[in-house]
Amino acid sequence: MIPVWLLSLASLCYFGILFAVAYHADRKHAAGQSLISNPHVYSLSLAVYATSWTFYGSVGRAATSGLDFLPIYLGPTLIAFSWWFLLRKIVRVSKEQNIVSIADFISSRYGKSAFLGAVVTVFAVLGIMPYIALQLKAVAYTFDHLSNPLAGPGRALHQLPNFGFRFDTALVVAIILAVFGVLFGARTLDASERHEGLVAAIALESLVKIVAFVAVGIFVTYVLFDGFGDIFTDFLARFPEKRNLLMFGGGENGYAPWFSLTFISMMAVMFLPRQFHIMVIENSSEEHISSAMWRFPAYMFIMNLFVIPIALAGLIMFSGNTAGADYFVLSLPMQYGQRWLALLVFIGGFSASAGMVMVSSVALATMVLNHLVMPLIIRLRIEAADISGLLINIKRLAIVAVILLGYLYYQLIGESYALVNIGLISFMAAAQFAPALIGGLFWRRANRRGALTGLILGFVVWFYTLLVPSFVRSGWLDPSILDHGLFGLSFLRPLELFGLSGFDIWTHALFWTMFFNIGSFLSLSLLTRTTRNEDEQAAKFVDVFQPHRPPAQRERISKAPSIMEFVDLMAKFIGEKQAHTAISQYLGHREIDERGSLSEYELPNLKRFTERTLAGSVGAAPARIIIENYLATRGSRMEDVFDIFGSVTLSRTSSREQLGVLYESARLVASGANLQSILDDILSLLRQQFKFDLCVIRILDEDRMALVVRSQVGMSSQHLGESERELTMETYIGSTFLTNSTTVVNDTDFMDKPRSAQIIHREGIKAFAHTPIVIEGQPIGVLSAFSRTSKGMLTEEFIALFENLAGLIGVAWRNSQQTAGLIAAREQERELQIAKTIQISLLPNSTPDLPGIELAGICVPARQVGGDYYDFLPRSTDRVDLVIGDVSGHNVGAALIMAETRTFIHARSADIGNIHSIMQELNEFFYEDLTRAELFITMFYCSFRQTDRRLTYSSAGHNRPLLWRHNRSACERLDAEGMILGIKPRVVFEEKSTQLEAGDVLLLYTDGVTEAAHPDTGQFFGEERLCTLLEDIQHLQAQVIVDEILRQVRIFTGVHNFQDDVSLVVMKVGEVLGARSA
Amino acid sequence: MSKPSSNQPRLREAWVLFFILGIVMLNYPLLQIFNKPVTVFGIPLLVLYFMLGWPLSIGVIYLFSQTLTNDDSGPGKENEPGDEE
Repeated sequence: MIPVWLLSLASLCYFGILFAVAYHADRKHAAGQSLISNPHVYSLSLAVYATSWTFYGSVGRAATSGLDFLPIYLGPTLIAFSWWFLLRKIVRVSKEQNIVSIADFISSRYGKSAFLGAVVTVFAVLGIMPYIALQLKAVAYTFDHLSNPLAGPGRALHQLPNFGFRFDTALVVAIILAVFGVLFGARTLDASERHEGLVAAIALESLVKIVAFVAVGIFVTYVLFDGFGDIFTDFLARFPEKRNLLMFGGGENGYAPWFSLTFISMMAVMFLPRQFHIMVIENSSEEHISSAMWRFPAYMFIMNLFVIPIALAGLIMFSGNTAGADYFVLSLPMQYGQRWLALLVFIGGFSASAGMVMVSSVALATMVLNHLVMPLIIRLRIEAADISGLLINIKRLAIVAVILLGYLYYQLIGESYALVNIGLISFMAAAQFAPALIGGLFWRRANRRGALTGLILGFVVWFYTLLVPSFVRSGWLDPSILDHGLFGLSFLRPLELFGLSGFDIWTHALFWTMFFNIGSFLSLSLLTRTTRNEDEQAAKFVDVFQPHRPPAQRERISKAPSIMEFVDLMAKFIGEKQAHTAISQYLGHREIDERGSLSEYELPNLKRFTERTLAGSVGAAPARIIIENYLATRGSRMEDVFDIFGSVTLSRTSSREQLGVLYESARLVASGANLQSILDDILSLLRQQFKFDLCVIRILDEDRMALVVRSQVGMSSQHLGESERELTMETYIGSTFLTNSTTVVNDTDFMDKPRSAQIIHREGIKAFAHTPIVIEGQPIGVLSAFSRTSKGMLTEEFIALFENLAGLIGVAWRNSQQTAGLIAAREQERELQIAKTIQISLLPNSTPDLPGIELAGICVPARQVGGDYYDFLPRSTDRVDLVIGDVSGHNVGAALIMAETRTFIHARSADIGNIHSIMQELNEFFYEDLTRAELFITMFYCSFRQTDRRLTYSSAGHNRPLLWRHNRSACERLDAEGMILGIKPRVVFEEKSTQLEAGDVLLLYTDGVTEAAHPDTGQFFGEERLCTLLEDIQHLQAQVIVDEILRQVRIFTGVHNFQDDVSLVVMKVGEVLGARSA
Repeated sequence: MSKPSSNQPRLREAWVLFFILGIVMLNYPLLQIFNKPVTVFGIPLLVLYFMLGWPLSIGVIYLFSQTLTNDDSGPGKENEPGDEE
C-alpha cells in the first residue's frame, strides 16, 4: 500500500524529468545540435511499441492463455529483418516528398488524393482511440491498485485528504499528457514535423520501462525463486494441469492464432500511426535503421524474457487465480513488501502508457489537421492574412481532443474487455493500411481507387468482425447478432462470416479483412487506369532508389507569379520566418536572371517546391489544392509545352541521335563545299526538322555597318526575310549582336521592343530566337529562327542546339575567309618568288676586274625582294662608275622601280656623261612614277678615273659614303648636295670630286647598315661605329671587308636577318702598276 | 567498411533465405517438434526454444546489419538537423 501522495509525487517528479529532458533536447535542436540523432536513441524510441499492454498485459495473457503473448514481439523481430529494404525505402520517400504522417504517405502516393487522406485519418482515429483508452485505463488501475488495493478494481476515484475533492486519476493523467503533447509536439508548425524533445522523452521512457521490468523480473526469478528452472519446476509441480500454458494446443493456443498474431504484429509495428511517426517521420538518418534492426528486437527479447517467470510466479502466489493477472507485475513486489520496487514498476508502466499516448496524439492530431481540417478550410475559402496561427492552434486542440476522446472511450467501454484484446483490435486496424502502403511502394499500377476500396472494405470488415463482438461483450448490442447474424442472415455472423467457422476471432478477422482489402486493392488497380498524377507520384515512390530519374515533364506557367508572390503564399500558411528561410535555401541553388526573377523553366520547379514546403505543414493533398486554387485565381495555368524534340525525325542516312541536326550540320561545314551552299543547307535542315517558318543568317557587313542577309529559307516576306538590320539596341537582332547574347522570345505577346513587335505581329510570328554567330568570341552575325505555329517551343535544350549551330556557321564562315586568304597568300608568295629571281639577276653577279682597284659589293635584302641596288659600270679601261641606291619600301613595287632605274642607268648614263646630269635626268624620268607610287629613291653615283685617281660624285639624299684616307688614317665623309629622287620634278645636283691615293678605301652603304638596331638598347649601328670598323679592317681585301662589315652588323643586332635591306660597295685603291714608281 | 555492390544481389538472396527461414522456424511444422512436455534444466522445451532461438535470430540480424553498405543511397541519406542552417 503506497500512499496516494507518494504515488502522485513520484508521478509528477517523473513527469518533471520528462519535461526537462524534452525541453533540453528541443533547445539543443534549435541551436543546431541534436541529442537524439544517434542509433541508440532511435532504437530506444522505437520501443514505444511496448505500451502498458506489454508491461502489464503480457503477464496477464501469459497467465491466462500461455505462450500466445509472444507472437506480438516475435513478429517485429521477423519484420525488423526487412527494414533495410522496406523501412529504408519508406523513409527515403518520406524525406523526399516531405511526408509528415501515414495518411500523408498514402494520400501522396495515390495522386495526393485528399479524400484518401481523410479516409485514412478517420480510420486511424477510430482504430487508435481504444488503444489510448487502454493506456489511460492501465495508469488509473495501477495507481488505484498501489494506493488502495483493498477497494478492488473500479473507477479510480480518490480523495486527497488535504484537498477534499474527488478526482479521477485517468482524467488527470489525460490532461497532463495532453499538455505534454501540445508542448512538445505542437509548439510550432514545423515543416518537417520533427519533434526532438518528444523523441528524447520517449527514449528515456523506454529506458525506464526496460529497467523497471527487468528489475522486477530479476526480483521474482532470483529472489523469490532460484532461477528459471526453479520457477518452472515449482509451477509444474503445483499445477500440472496448467502445463499446456507452456505449449501449443487447440483453440486459443493453437497454431492459427499464433500465425495470425505474428502477422498482425508485423504489420502493426510499422503502421500504427505512432510507430510510423517515430520510425519514419522522426528518423534523422537512414543509417540508424541498420542498427535499429537488431537493437529493437534485442530490446523486445530482454523485455519478454521475464514475462513467463513473473506470470508463473503470480499464479503460484495467488493459487492459480487469474483475476488480477494483468497486474501481477505490481502485486508480487507489493506482496513481499518491496514498495520501492513496486513504485519503480509503476513508473515503468506509467512510462509505457505515457509514451504511447503522447506520440499517438501528436501523430493523430497532425493527420486530423492536414486531412480533415485543412480541406474544410480550403473549401470554406477562409481568407486570412496569416493562417499559420490558426493552424497551430487547431493542431493543439486536436491533440487534446484525441486524448479526451480516448478518455471518453475508456469511461464508456473500457471496463468490460481485457487489456490485451483492445490492443489487438487496434493492431488489426493498423494492418489495414499495409496493402495500400506496401503495394504502393512496389507496384506502379496500384491506383487510388484500388487503395480506397481496399481500405474502406478492410475497415468495414474490421468493424464488423472485431468491434461488433466487443460491443456485444460490453453489453451495448444484442447478443443475437452474434448468434444469428445481421438481419438474421446466418452467413453474416460476425464471428463466422460467410460460414468460415472453427477459427479463433483473430485469425477469422485477419483472413476476412485481408481478403477484402487486398482483393479489392488488386482487382481495382488492375481493372482501372491510373491518372497522370498517380503515375507521377508512383514513379517518385517506387523508383526512389533508382540512380537517375527521367526529367520532369516539360511545362511552363503562363502568367506566372513572381518569386515574392510564392513567398507570400507560403508565409500565409507557415509564417513569414519559415517562408523566407525556405525560399532562400531554395534560391541558393537556382540561377536568377538580371531582372531578379527566375528563368521561365525554373518556375514550375518553384511551384513544386512551394507545394512541397506547404505539404510539410498542411499535408500533401491540401497543399496541392491550395497551389492550384492560387494559380487559378491569378489566371496562370500550367501548360504542356510542345515538345520540340518530339518531331525530330531520324535522317535516312544513318544518324541515330536525336541531335542528328547538329551532326548533319557539322558534316556540312567540314565538307568544304562552298560557303553559300553550306549556309543554305544548314538553314534548310533547321527549318525542316524543327518546323520553323523562317530561318535567316545575317552577317555583319563592315562597310555598311549593318547585318546583311546571307542566307534565308522559309517564307519570303519582304521585311523579315530580306532586309538588313542596323546595329541598334531597338531591335532584337541588333541587341543580340551588340550584347553578344542569345535572345529568345517564346511568346510574342510579351515583347518589349516596339519596333520589332510591330513587324513580328504583322507577320504572325508566335515565337522566335536570335543567337549571335561568333568567331573567337566576337560576333560577326546573327542566326535567327521564327515560328508562326507554337509558343513556348524554344526550350533550353533547343537553345543549346541553336547556339551550337550558330557556332558551326561561324566556323564555316571563318573557314571560307581563311581559305580565301590562304589562296591569296599563296598567289602572292609565287609572285614574290618570281620577282626575287628577276631581281637577283639584275644585280651584278661578279665584280669587274680592273687594274689598280679592288671592288666588292653585296646586297642582302630584308625580305624576299628588296629595294636596294648597286652596280659597277666600267666605262672604259680608264673609268669605272659606282652607283648605290635605296628605294623606300622593300616589296615588289620597290624592286620593279629599282629594276627600271638600273635599265635607265645602263642605257642612258653612257650617253649623258657627267654625273650630275645623269642624276638630273634620272629624277626627271622617274618623278612621275615615283610620285604615283608614293616611293622615293636615294642614290649615290660616283665615277673613278684611273689615270689621275680622281673620284667624281653626286648624291641624291643618300647616306654619305665613308672614305678612308690612308695618309691621314682618318675617315672622311663624301657629301654632295642633292635632293632625294622623286620629290621635285626639277632638281639640281651638286657634283664634287676628290683625289684618291693608294691605300684609300671607299665604302658605299645603305641605311640598312647604319640603322641596324641593337636588340636591347635600341641603339643604331651608326656612322661612327662603321668608321671605327673601317679603320680596323681597311687593310684587308675588299671582299673580306664587305664580309666583315656584314658580320659585325649581324653581331650587333644579334640576328642573322636584317630589318632593312643592306647593301655595301667597297673600292680599295691599290698601287698602280708601274705608275708613280719612278 | 564497404563491400562492392556486386554483393548486393547476394545480400538480397541471403536476406530472403533468412526471412523465410525465420517464418518457418516460428510456425506450425517446426514448432511442433519442440512442443513436447519435456523439460531441460527444469525449463520446458518450447520455452527454451524461444529463449535461445530468439537471441540467435537477433544475432543473425546483427551480422546482416554489419555487412550492409549504403550503395544505393542517394542524396537523401542524411536528414540531420543540419539542414536547419
